[in-house]
Amino acid sequence: MKIFRYAFQTVFKSLWREKWINLLTILSISIGLSLLTSFIMITLNMDSVLQRWAKNFGIVVYLDEDINKAEENTLKNRFLKDKDIIEVKYISKEKALKELHKTLGANALVLEGLDENPLPSSFELRLKSSLIEPGLVKNKAAQIERISGVDEVQYGEKWLSSLYAVSKTMKLGAIIIGGAIFIAITFITYSTIKIFFYRRKEEIETLKLLGATRSFIRLPFLLEGLIIGLLGGIMSSLVIFGIYSFTSLKMVEFLPSINLVMASLPFQVYLIVPLAGAVVSIVGSFIAVGKIRY
Amino acid sequence: MISFTNVSKSYEGELILKDFTFTIDKGEVAYITGPSGAGKTTLLKLIYCAERPDRGQIVVAGWDINKLKQRTIPFLRRNVGIVFQDFRLLYNKTVFDNIALALRIHYVHPNAIREDVNAVLKEVKLSHKANTFPQQLSGGEQQRVVIGRAMVSKPTVLLADEPTGNLDVDTSQTIMNLFREINARGTTVLIATHNHDLFHGTGRRVFFLRDKNIEKEIIG
Repeated sequence: MKIFRYAFQTVFKSLWREKWINLLTILSISIGLSLLTSFIMITLNMDSVLQRWAKNFGIVVYLDEDINKAEENTLKNRFLKDKDIIEVKYISKEKALKELHKTLGANALVLEGLDENPLPSSFELRLKSSLIEPGLVKNKAAQIERISGVDEVQYGEKWLSSLYAVSKTMKLGAIIIGGAIFIAITFITYSTIKIFFYRRKEEIETLKLLGATRSFIRLPFLLEGLIIGLLGGIMSSLVIFGIYSFTSLKMVEFLPSINLVMASLPFQVYLIVPLAGAVVSIVGSFIAVGKIRY
Repeated sequence: MISFTNVSKSYEGELILKDFTFTIDKGEVAYITGPSGAGKTTLLKLIYCAERPDRGQIVVAGWDINKLKQRTIPFLRRNVGIVFQDFRLLYNKTVFDNIALALRIHYVHPNAIREDVNAVLKEVKLSHKANTFPQQLSGGEQQRVVIGRAMVSKPTVLLADEPTGNLDVDTSQTIMNLFREINARGTTVLIATHNHDLFHGTGRRVFFLRDKNIEKEIIG
């Protein structure tokens, strides 16, 4: 604890003496973290919407015209046993026709002249979520298509590819933007602490000659970085709280169907943001102070 | 207490000290003199490890300088009080804080710091200036603050580089008296000066530096 006494005294004096540059740094960190958190929240919400769409994704297995009941049952059992498939729904020729009638509504007249039911019986399969990736679904569909009694397998191949591409781009974007903002925050703290370090260069030289250890010299700068990052993070948490409360309210008002993942952010976010600010700032400060040589 | 054995040191190819050998005993007061550029300051820097020798061995208060790692240097310096020619005071700190700094780096308790610094201020006769800033002091007073800072941590060795450089005769005498008092407590004192009046009649060893080595050793 002794080591912190002088460090804290020095830090509080410096925070006050350099209040304007500190304030600017805190504001910059706060803006950076707010942008980052907002972007992550948008990505999470959009991803969750995509995931929800993906959950309803299924493939349709059309059966051969001449398939008999026993063969259909064998197929059904095979699908039920398949660990990749989480739901199996059988649609008989008759049911398919009935549904088509329902879908066509007033236009169902076109079906009136048919001598026999042209629709095949089918299975609607829902695959487990980890399998919902264009390549994996394609393989699965091909594998099912090879089974005897199966005529054709259909699924929204293009739709799935687009969905997957959007999700992938968003995640990549989040990583790139997140990384860039983290680097920016590190650089902001680095610059501020470097300025303080240069301003106190004479004092540091004297301290070194008096026999101050590296940690004694470094600690005030690291603590100052930590406090700046923490304050930036706290300010960011407040901003995020305000923005998220306001926008989620407005979003639900205008687009009730959007159904956001989180109507309010979990309280952990408000703790993680200041912590992230503190950690990144400490890293920036550590680089700024550099290696102390005697 | 301080021993140099065949020490050589050069700066940017220019040899400053060559095969330098000398010893200062524990509790001794000794002087180093010589013309400008003779290597007086370099010699002191080698003692407090601001410079490393190119060759030879240096032992200070039991520490072998050659074997000293970067992170150990502070612990050597805590045993060596330094009075700099250019004072090296912190002008944004009061006289009290400047002296206290030497104890704060040792993590001394604030109460003990107050006690020790006040005692030192009394010795250097600056108690009434404790709360003033260095720029409000005369050169002699500033030098007394530097001596106060060097002695407050009770070092085993005290080095002084031209301690009376810009001071008048009376003030110089006051400063030298302070060194005598410090030495009386058992601290080894090594003073680098070009002012011969400082060591005349002291009965102490004086080393004359010239041509990268000791030209002669006399009793002052």
